[in-house]
Amino acid sequence: MSSGLARQQSTSGASEARALAFLADLSETLAVSLDLRQTLGEAVNRIADFMDAEAASLFLLDDDGNMLECRVCVGPIDISGLRIPLGQGVVGRAVAENRSQFVSDALSDKRVDRSNDSDTGFVTRSLLCAPLATAKGPIGALEVVNKRSGGSFSADDAEILRLVAAPTSLAINNARMANELVQQARMRREFDLARRMQKSLLPKRRRGGFPLLGMNLPAHEISGDFYDYFDLPDGRIGFFIGDVSGKGLDAALLMVRTASLLRWVGKEGIAPPEWLARVNEELCETSLEGRFVCALVGRCDRNAQEVEIAAAGFPPAMRYRRGEFTEYLSGGAPLGILAGMSFDGQTIDLRDASLYCFSDGMTDVRDAQRRTIGSEGVREMIRRHAGASAEPRLRGMFSELRHLRLVDDTTLLLIERMQAHGPEVLLKRRFPARPENMREIRSLLRSALDNAGVETAIRDKLVLAVDEACCNVIRHAYGPGHSGDIDLRVTSEAGKLEFRLLDSAPAVDPDCVRAKPLGECRSGGLGVALIEAVMDDWNLQGLPDGKGNRLIMRKRIGDNGTSGEDQE
Amino acid sequence: MNGIEQETVEGRTLIRLSGEVDLSWSQQVRDAVLGALARSRRVGVVLSEVSYIDSSGIAALVEGFQSARTNGSGFALVAVSDAVRAVLELARLDRVFPIVADVDGIPEVTGAPAWKP
Repeated sequence: MSSGLARQQSTSGASEARALAFLADLSETLAVSLDLRQTLGEAVNRIADFMDAEAASLFLLDDDGNMLECRVCVGPIDISGLRIPLGQGVVGRAVAENRSQFVSDALSDKRVDRSNDSDTGFVTRSLLCAPLATAKGPIGALEVVNKRSGGSFSADDAEILRLVAAPTSLAINNARMANELVQQARMRREFDLARRMQKSLLPKRRRGGFPLLGMNLPAHEISGDFYDYFDLPDGRIGFFIGDVSGKGLDAALLMVRTASLLRWVGKEGIAPPEWLARVNEELCETSLEGRFVCALVGRCDRNAQEVEIAAAGFPPAMRYRRGEFTEYLSGGAPLGILAGMSFDGQTIDLRDASLYCFSDGMTDVRDAQRRTIGSEGVREMIRRHAGASAEPRLRGMFSELRHLRLVDDTTLLLIERMQAHGPEVLLKRRFPARPENMREIRSLLRSALDNAGVETAIRDKLVLAVDEACCNVIRHAYGPGHSGDIDLRVTSEAGKLEFRLLDSAPAVDPDCVRAKPLGECRSGGLGVALIEAVMDDWNLQGLPDGKGNRLIMRKRIGDNGTSGEDQE
Repeated sequence: MNGIEQETVEGRTLIRLSGEVDLSWSQQVRDAVLGALARSRRVGVVLSEVSYIDSSGIAALVEGFQSARTNGSGFALVAVSDAVRAVLELARLDRVFPIVADVDGIPEVTGAPAWKP
């Protein structure tokens, strides 16, 4: 450019220094501004002045990439809003070919569309047009028309316009990206609002022996899963759990609609199959645009002795009773597909049993090898946590799920007889009193205490103390001459943990079990000292029939360690 | 995962323990520590890879420490992990044992004035 400028300095009338100063100045203005309308207007004005042009305009490609629209123009005729198809005229060509167009005699040049001239009386004599482009391709064009001093534009003018096009493209691109970010932030706020609204639709945890407990773990910002429970006129409890097909905002809105509908219809206390049929009719009356809803509805007595369910395309409900599983398969097609459908109902004996109803997100969870855990994986998980009472059990299962790869929203509704009062069981385990079993016991204890929200440093000390207690049972109560089990139970109530150890070893004289002073460098008697240092209190008693001992250790950890949210 | 490794470098015997030191194998730890002290005048027990230790494991270390003092050998716990340190602190033994950051810190004689109880 510099040689060209120098060579034609006399004809263009612009010194190289002046051109460089102009370019630098313009680039700076374009670089700092994100307000496109104002900046581009100013830039186009300055370009027209600098290039001594009668008119200048800036065209941008529309979103489809087929039409160019004049966004900014200066000069005697206002052509802003003028639309030119890609490839047509000088501007359309510049963009389509991504190459500058140079017309010295517009009257005889076929490229020039002069229809605008005849309408306005403006005469286009010569023009220059440079494409605007980013790394992703063309976005528009910059055009200058007619030298004010007469004559045609020079090669230097063409070079300058081409150079000006670069910072202009950059400015437009920056402003667009900034705008996109603002849009994204707005979308995120709206999603956040929708998510909070959805969460507020889930029922509050009800205590005092209420036989239902639900938990929901959304895979994305907005969940398509839902559950609810409510009192029926006859004193029983109605409940439902469901899953809307698809993701995103429209699925979320359908979820809100279906959940309200299920609640409204179910409130009357009708039988589950009829309940589903009526909701299905209602949903089928309006188009769901290919979406559908899988759901399970039911009702049970307050002691959860018997439960009636009906399902529509929902995964089988799983009953767990003393290590045995029974699956109750769904009786009908999903809701919202076909009007006039009927659904099968089932009555399940729930005495001494628990019923797990879960969305397919639960079985679709992936393990470390990216395999879905499936129904067998869910069974194993239920089995692993079966010793704990309802809330810590579900919390334990969900914390396990969180460590796996969640591909879909996961919702679980548990129905079982729950104790109105009394401690929560965090862990219950019976195991042979042998040193090699302690590693697994410590690991179970750690996760049980984690699930109860116990701080890590305290958790580790508690694990040590329980380990020491078990080792004393192994070494001293049973000793080399006896064998038997240890029954460990960890409970939590009102911020207080209780660790109970039962054994069937010969009775130990509690007076013989004493802590040695800490810090003393002797190798024996340290275990009891550690228990004493960790626990608030402990108590060892022989069992009534003279065979076996019971050790109880207690530790206060504060209420925040045991309380937890029912919704994840 | 649990393991005992031994090496002798420049007259110092190192016993590297890893995993969870508990009643199921603390006897092996005791034998290894006492065995090393019978052979070497300077012994360090490296505990950086120990994630858990119970009182039987601590007892094995206490015995090693006592044996070294009796025989005038050098003995120290080296690069103690947080988990082990927490138990030593709980047992108030963190000021009894010589605890050093690396192999160079292992003393020539255990029971130098600073470590007398």
